[in-house]
Amino acid sequence: MPRVLLIEDDPSVREGVELGLRRRGHDVRAAATGETGLAALAEFRPDLLLLDLMLPGMNGVQVCRQVREHSQLPIIMLTARSDDFDVVIGLEAGADDYIVKPARPEVIEARIRAVLRRIEDSGPGRPAIEVYGELTIDRGGLTVTKAGRPVALAPSELRLLLHLSAAPEQVFSRQQLLEHVWDHSYHADARLVDACVARLRGKIEDEVGSPRYVQTLRGFGYRFGPL
Amino acid sequence: MRRVRRRRRAATGTVIVAAAVALLGGCGIQGTDVIAAGGPASFQAFLDREYDMLLFFRSPDGGLSPVIRSTAVSAAFGEGYVEAGAVETDGPVPTEKVVTTLLAGPRKEDRVAGLSTSLPLVRGGKVEVEPSPGGGVTARLPFALAGLDSTALRQLTCTIAYSQDADGQVVVTLTGQDGASRSGTCGLAPGDTGNVPAATGTGARSPWPGTPG
Amino acid sequence: MTIGLRIGPARRRKDAGQEAGQGAAATDNRSRIRAFGLRTRLLLAFLLVAGVSAGTTSALTYREARTALLETAQDTAVTSFRDHAQQTAFSLPLQRGAALEDVLRDIARKGKPHPWVVFAEYGSVRASSGENPVSTVITPELRRAARANPHGSFERVVKDGVPYLTIAMPMVFKTSPYSVLPSGLVLYAVMRLTDEQVNVDALLVAARNGALPGLAVALVPGLIAARSVLRPVRKLHEAARSMGSGRLDTRIPVRGSDELADLARTFNESAGQLERSVRELREAEERARRFASDVSHELRTPLAGMLAVTEVLDEDADGLDADTARAVRLVSAETGKLAVLVEDLMEISRFDARAAELNADEVDVAETIRKTLQNRRWTDDRVRTDLPDGIRARLDPRRFDVVIANLVGNALRHGGTPVTVRLRTEERTPGTAVLITEVMDSGPGIRPESLPHIFDRFYKADAARTRSAGSGLGLAITLENVRLHGGTIRAGNRPEGGAVFTVGIPLHAEETGG
Repeated sequence: MPRVLLIEDDPSVREGVELGLRRRGHDVRAAATGETGLAALAEFRPDLLLLDLMLPGMNGVQVCRQVREHSQLPIIMLTARSDDFDVVIGLEAGADDYIVKPARPEVIEARIRAVLRRIEDSGPGRPAIEVYGELTIDRGGLTVTKAGRPVALAPSELRLLLHLSAAPEQVFSRQQLLEHVWDHSYHADARLVDACVARLRGKIEDEVGSPRYVQTLRGFGYRFGPL
Repeated sequence: MRRVRRRRRAATGTVIVAAAVALLGGCGIQGTDVIAAGGPASFQAFLDREYDMLLFFRSPDGGLSPVIRSTAVSAAFGEGYVEAGAVETDGPVPTEKVVTTLLAGPRKEDRVAGLSTSLPLVRGGKVEVEPSPGGGVTARLPFALAGLDSTALRQLTCTIAYSQDADGQVVVTLTGQDGASRSGTCGLAPGDTGNVPAATGTGARSPWPGTPG
Repeated sequence: MTIGLRIGPARRRKDAGQEAGQGAAATDNRSRIRAFGLRTRLLLAFLLVAGVSAGTTSALTYREARTALLETAQDTAVTSFRDHAQQTAFSLPLQRGAALEDVLRDIARKGKPHPWVVFAEYGSVRASSGENPVSTVITPELRRAARANPHGSFERVVKDGVPYLTIAMPMVFKTSPYSVLPSGLVLYAVMRLTDEQVNVDALLVAARNGALPGLAVALVPGLIAARSVLRPVRKLHEAARSMGSGRLDTRIPVRGSDELADLARTFNESAGQLERSVRELREAEERARRFASDVSHELRTPLAGMLAVTEVLDEDADGLDADTARAVRLVSAETGKLAVLVEDLMEISRFDARAAELNADEVDVAETIRKTLQNRRWTDDRVRTDLPDGIRARLDPRRFDVVIANLVGNALRHGGTPVTVRLRTEERTPGTAVLITEVMDSGPGIRPESLPHIFDRFYKADAARTRSAGSGLGLAITLENVRLHGGTIRAGNRPEGGAVFTVGIPLHAEETGG
């Protein structure tokens, strides 16, 4: 069962979520502040970080950035308001998904499972390693290199790139991407897709202003290539 | 409400237009009524009471016109008049003579000027003039007064009055052969209200009678 | 029955045809050039006053000058005529002939201010200094007056457009130093008033020429006065319009101390009071809204904790004694409902604070609706669909999902199955296609008295039911979401029975609401 690090300042929420997840068999470690949470990170080695955005002292967005500096640990934000500007900032800082409080443990677990889902094989008859321009995608090893140098991608970014590149030049609507990459409902928040695309472009594109690999089709969605 | 206002507006407009017409109209020179302006003009008539008689004849419009008749040689007007100097002096011309001259009628020059007389032509016969008992003068005439018109009576009255008095302010009583008697004043002078001739009473109240229209 | 909904100012005007028509008419009135506007009236009044005063002055001056001119001429003429007549001598009876005419010509020559034609009338004697012995100008009235009264008299006569002065002078002579006697001779003088006419005409021209530039000059103060009156009026007009468009801090600079300044001052005071009232109202509203928002927000944190452990309660309830188990399950169930209620309250307060955002995306509408029904597991025969493929629209999928889910859920709860969802497009006015989504149920329909309130918050169509299955905010949230799309929603009953909710969203609307 996955090891989950929960950083949440409110005791009742912290305790409730910890209790709920533990009952579902998760190995949960809870921290009350961003600092203690970051300290626990090395020692606990979680599979996933559940991070409240509103923290005293160091806030969730800062924690998120600090984690992303050296790790591609899956991060799910806990937020009180879905329309909050912090959601966008959190997603831009590298979070893979977010959950609006209050949430039932089954919802939280579903999101955890979606983020941790093993990336399925692209299927037989397809080479494990594909090369697109300077970009090399290893579907077996789940690594991406650009001009020979490895690119560190967060789980959602990697999954988005794999999904798009699996069918080059095919247009995917944001709703479709939400369903297939995030396991969200069709009607979920499309900002997840936009923020993830922006982060991905920042890592693989030469010029973010005129992307080569992940292209936008206004009014329809995104596609990979053509190069 | 609106109709009242409109009517009021129309009335205002009419007033303005009328005022404008009254003010601006009457441009140029208009005619006037007859306007009195000062007294009459007095001219030189060369009346010398020592020699001249003042006779009153009838003018074409029915009024009386005075005529100056010199007792001096008097054939022609003009030079003769100037030289008519020293003949027949002794005071004013006697009234009897003046009346006789009047009764002789207008001369040629008078008739040329359109003058005539209403008196009967009387040749001979004596005219007597004497002061009346109550003032004034009484003239006995050698004909009947009964048939005479008012102009004739006024001719006599004025001629006698101006012969007796330079101002003509004398009450004259006329007595005819028929015994009829009339009395009055001449009243021709401006400002004089004559009552001539009282007995006939033609009612000519104008001080300058003779223009009955 | 139709419920007209408020869709924001711009949209409202477009939808309500009648209202828009009136608005357009009002604008036309405003922009039309007013033939008898304040400016024209002021100018006309000024011109009228100037015209009347200039005209009156000119006319009076003219008349006075004319009268003075003529009187001078007349008096001069009468006096000098009398003087000259007095200096002559006539014998009586008057003799007609060359001598008389010489005398008359002599008088005529001395005529002042102009030569006269002198006529003499005596008895039947008619003589003149001119060619005709009898004048055609002298009137019978003048003759009668001269005969009747021994004074000089004159008469102004206009004959064939030429003005003449005719003077009658009865001639008297002295019988004694104190007494005069009318001689029966009347002298007449006839004088053309040609020069006077010219002078009078010149006067008239001068008066007219003086009055007309006066009028032109009067236009300048007229325009200035009109401006000075109209400028404050225009300022007031602009300020009032500015106030009307919501800028309540609009004030007018007060200048001077006239009535218009008073008006401006009053306007400013009223505007100040209005602004204060509105500010107080807004603050009160803001406080209330923030309170609702804060309350819901504060409720979320404990709810988050509670909701996280309801599962634990539910699972362990089986092991408890019956009463405790019931109590535990009740707490668990109500916690869930409370969470939904708080979520809806949060959503409503976001709408109230205009913080709701529209994240529009171009989507396949039929697919969007199908996904909504799939996610809610309304795929059995309770819900029938008539969803033509290929209709694409710019929608916020999440909000449109809420709209459809609320309407279908509401129909399933309160109406009867089957519920039909129908999708179509409609051309309302040329060029504006509208996406129409209808949700119909097979129940008894909505009672007419409930229709106007069906979208009110916490409105309960069924008074017997103290608490609806939903939060009571579902339809209110639906309405807000439709408005956010720039659309309309109507509730009604079908003739064949059953309630119908009709959502109309403009197909190619520009992005509304941010």
